[in-house]
Amino acid sequence: MLALEVDSLTKIYDSSKVLDSVSFKVNEGEIFGLLGPNGAGKTTLMEILSGIRDPTSGAVKIFDMNAIKGNRKEINKLIGFNPQETMLYDDLTGMENLEFIASLYHMDRSTFKSRLEDLMSLIDVKNLLKKRVGKLSGGQKRRISIIASIIHSPKLLILDEPTVGLDPDARRDFWKVIWKLRDRGSTIILSTHYMEEADELCDRVAIMESGRIVAIGKPEDLKRKYGDKSKIFIYTKLKLLDDADLTLRGIGYKTTRMADSLVIEEDSPSELVPYLISEMSRKGVQPERIEIRNPTLEDVFLNLTGKPLVEVI
Amino acid sequence: MNAPIQMAKKDLLSFFRSKSTIFWTLAFPLMMMLLFSSMFGGSSVMFKVALVNEDSGIMSSVFVKALNSTNVTSLVPFSNIKEAKNYVMNGRGSAVLVIPKGFSNNLTSGLAATIYFYSSEDPQVKMAITSMIKGFVDAFLEEYRERMFSIMIQHMPSEVKTEAGIFTKEQIVNFMRMLIKPIDVRAVSLAKSSVTSKTANYRKTSYWKAEGHWVTMMLAYSLIFSGMVSSAAFLSDEKLWETVKRILVSPVSRWSILIGKLLGSLAVVTISQIILVALTILWLRPQVNWSILSIPIIIAGDLASIGIGFLVAELSPNPKAANEGVITIGVMIQFISGLYFPVSFLPGMLRVIAEAVPFTWAVRALDGLLVFGRGLEAVWTPVLYLIVTAIVLTSLSVALFPKWARIE
Repeated sequence: MLALEVDSLTKIYDSSKVLDSVSFKVNEGEIFGLLGPNGAGKTTLMEILSGIRDPTSGAVKIFDMNAIKGNRKEINKLIGFNPQETMLYDDLTGMENLEFIASLYHMDRSTFKSRLEDLMSLIDVKNLLKKRVGKLSGGQKRRISIIASIIHSPKLLILDEPTVGLDPDARRDFWKVIWKLRDRGSTIILSTHYMEEADELCDRVAIMESGRIVAIGKPEDLKRKYGDKSKIFIYTKLKLLDDADLTLRGIGYKTTRMADSLVIEEDSPSELVPYLISEMSRKGVQPERIEIRNPTLEDVFLNLTGKPLVEVI
Repeated sequence: MNAPIQMAKKDLLSFFRSKSTIFWTLAFPLMMMLLFSSMFGGSSVMFKVALVNEDSGIMSSVFVKALNSTNVTSLVPFSNIKEAKNYVMNGRGSAVLVIPKGFSNNLTSGLAATIYFYSSEDPQVKMAITSMIKGFVDAFLEEYRERMFSIMIQHMPSEVKTEAGIFTKEQIVNFMRMLIKPIDVRAVSLAKSSVTSKTANYRKTSYWKAEGHWVTMMLAYSLIFSGMVSSAAFLSDEKLWETVKRILVSPVSRWSILIGKLLGSLAVVTISQIILVALTILWLRPQVNWSILSIPIIIAGDLASIGIGFLVAELSPNPKAANEGVITIGVMIQFISGLYFPVSFLPGMLRVIAEAVPFTWAVRALDGLLVFGRGLEAVWTPVLYLIVTAIVLTSLSVALFPKWARIE
């Protein structure tokens, strides 16, 4: 079953198109990533999906219900939204915030308690709940905010840049939470501008730029289709670099000379490397180190848009 | 109905943890009460007067005793004029009063007596204390003349024969009274149709000293500050913290949000009114004509006040502007709505504005009930105006709410 179906969604602000006929589908149980730089339209798209904003045109179906003109109250019971801001009351404690948010979903006290205990096994907030949110760090607030977004067990969870501001360890811990939530049956849509996050976390990714989806698919497929070839970096002693170059050219490989290495582009690098080592050894040019660099979503973005993702950010 | 109640509960919790809203809704009105009660309260001493009494006679001691009993001055005795003048010039006192030797002797011998009075150079103090001392001397002399007159009457024969004819003692007494006080100015209270002499108890005739007005004042403070400030803050804080998004993605209708905010604001303004009125009663012990009719007036005033708070929050470009907006409006409105002086004292244009402000009508209606002890027949016009403005303002804020709640 489809969890989400977006058809020709357009949003215009002051005659500028923030979203330009965006269409995609997300399957139930999928982790779907929206990858793109700031200003690509990710947040606007997510806020429309969450019902906070209205689109200029287009259609959205959530679990086969019309999310634009349909019964938003019923849809809101099924979704959880966590925006970039933590959206918590600074002068209430973490627990008071969660109690209030649970009350908006008509949760009774015992359901809330058992649900909270369950979520606390995924996200460590034990020592944070009695403190006022205004006194917590950004990362601590974000943990409570995530719990607030999933306290009612949403079937579709929409997360806007959930790991922004988190250190790499905390980010990886958060990925584990996302996987666990998926294992429990939730469908997750998240936006990010971290390529490795989209690559590792998401089943499928939509690459957005200037309000449009420029590519959509599994990360591996996108890299294969739009990414560069894998690169083999061969390091030798500097004085042997010319001999190594001659050897590799001699067996038919086109090399690119770098300051301290030679680079060969190849579709299946892991199969080629043993052969290269044996040929170079035979000619007396022992490589000191060999590195394989596979294509990334960054390459995909660069090749599709002509702009590097990191520079745009 | 659960969501609005939870919203109101959450807002109340936030309210009691916010220093700025607590200040404007409770501390500020209390400060104003303390300020004005110390300025105008019956037991407070306003002026310190350095007294140099060079006369040792009975009349000077009666004069000093009477002056001391006014509670408007505190007399500080000095043995010489130089020290007394220094005391005032150093800013510790407001004036020097000198009763020269022979004061009592002159008065009891039928001669004119003199007192000397040196005032502070501060023009406002000078004007106030000069008029106070002159007023006191007038009242003292009136009392003195009455006493002298009664002594003379005791020794007067029952008839006096003159060229114009025979006059009875009663005719002579009436004529002499007319000579002493040809015109008696009497202030008439409209409230109870009672007649009070201008020189009699000032507490009963002063706008400030109308004791029930203290309760009106505290209730009006709650309307102006608690109602407006809390309702504007409850709405605008949701945008300040972006929590409005969290509420909008929950299965709660926008109307539930507004009803919750209304309930929370009503709870805050009611709590504030109970605390302020209770403290006023304990602190000032005013005489109030309690009336059950004041409850609908207060509720209508609360709704008008909350409506204004909502409107300001909805029309403000950002939460900071909303909070500053209601405080600015509140601070200005308190001066024109009859809290400190009657609206009739205001200049033309301000009076027109004051008449449009619902709080003016609330003050008028509450004073009508609590101060003057009137019934509904006498206060129905302000009550009606208040109810109409409450309905209009609340409806306007309801109409603008969907636009406010939508994120463009």
